[in-house]
This record gives sequence, C-alpha cells and structure tokens, in this order.
Amino acid sequence: MSIFSKNSPPDNRDDKIANEQVDDYSEPAPVSAEEQAAAYEPAVRNEQASRPGIAKPSIISEGFTFEGTITSDGVLNIAGTVRGKITAKSVLIEASGRVDGELNSDQLVIKGQLNGEVNCEDLNVGPLAHVDGSISYKYIHIQRGGKVSGKFIKN
Amino acid sequence: MAEANQQGCLFVGEGVVLKGNFQVPDIASISGVIEGELTAKQILIEATGVVHGKLSGESIDIRGEANEYVSSTRSLIIRSTGKVTGSIHYSEIEIEKGGHLHGDLHNINPHS
Repeated sequence: MSIFSKNSPPDNRDDKIANEQVDDYSEPAPVSAEEQAAAYEPAVRNEQASRPGIAKPSIISEGFTFEGTITSDGVLNIAGTVRGKITAKSVLIEASGRVDGELNSDQLVIKGQLNGEVNCEDLNVGPLAHVDGSISYKYIHIQRGGKVSGKFIKN
Repeated sequence: MAEANQQGCLFVGEGVVLKGNFQVPDIASISGVIEGELTAKQILIEATGVVHGKLSGESIDIRGEANEYVSSTRSLIIRSTGKVTGSIHYSEIEIEKGGHLHGDLHNINPHS
C-alpha cells in the first residue's frame, strides 16, 4: 500500500485500483519473458560450447562390453568392459570400468581395473583401482590404496 | 623427527656416506648416502638422501632416491621429489604427482 501511496493520491480509489491492475498485468509479463529467455539461452550455449571446447566424451556404459579397437581424438569414459586396443587423447576408466589390452593416451585416469600394456603421459590411479601390466608414463600419481603391479617405466 | 625419543633411531646427515648393512629398530632418517642394506621400522629418505641397496621396513617415505630394492610391509609413499628404481614390494602405496618410479611393482597382498 505504501508503495502505491507515493505514486497515486490516497483519496482517489479508482486510480489506485487502476494502478494495481496495470501493475498486475505489466509486471508478470516481462518476468515470464525473461524466464523463458533465461531457460532457453543456457541450453543453446551448452550445445554450442560442447562442440568447439572440450569434446563430448565417448562413453562405454556400465554393463557394456566392447571387443576390438577404439580410436578417438577426444575423451573416452569407460564404465563397462573393453577388451582390445584403445587409443585416445584422454581416457577415464570409471570404478565399474575394466580394460584388458593395450591402451595409449595422453591423459589416463584409472578408478577401475586395468590389465595390459599402457602408454601414457599423465597417469592418475585412484584409491580403488587395480592396475596390472607394463606401464610407461611421464607423470604419475597413485592415490593411497591404489593397487598397482607390473613394470613401470618413466619416459 | 623423533626428537623426544631417539632410542633405536638412525640419523644420517647430509654429506655423510655410510657403507654396510644396517638394522634399525625404530626410525631411520637418511639425508646422506647409504651403500648397503637398510632395515628399519620406519624409513624416511629425505630429499638429499640416497640409498644404493636393499631397503626394507614397515613404513617407508621417500623424498630422495632409492635404488635397487624397496620392500614395505605397511605403507610406501613416494613424494614428488622421490625417485625409486628397481624392484618394489608394498602393501599400500601412494605416489605423489611428480614422483619417479621405474621398475617392477609387486603388491604383497594382492587379494584385497
């Protein structure tokens, strides 16, 4: 009430009601338009950002088993099982993930299980990971609890 | 560095070179050079420390250099300045980013 009393004379009831009605109509309209725009814009931005920026990861889902060769210039997330050869820029083996075979990548994060020959620049082994094989790396980080065995070669 | 109780401890200062086999009941802190076997409950190889030979203990913390053989029955930590080559046996391992590891790794209790 005090808000309206500033704009409209207090003795004129018709004006006040008219003001209120106008306010009721005019106020929600721009808000909803903004909301729509706000809801719409991020979706557009996300779509655009995912293309030139960090590439969308390729995902081997949990329960999925792949046998063969995977080659990717981008990011590969493995939550399932892969048997074979993997070449990718960045590989993440999730806790449920399993890889048997050869793996070449710049960045490698292992939270699951890995058996085989690994060639990578940056290796990060998580606390629940099991890694066995011949591993050649440039930078290594093994978090406490990670189980690793095999041959380690620093390049 | 166990200033309160130094009983059963071995401290090798920077620049000191020791040759032989050493049995240390408690802590061995190495800033110098050891040529030979070293067995201790807890081993700390400081950044300037170097060990040529066998290294065995419960907890081993390496900021310096360990060559040949490392065996840890409890925890093995290789710090970012650490450099380990040779055969490594551990039950729990942690390697900080930048740590250098070159050799064969064996888990003492791989069942878990």
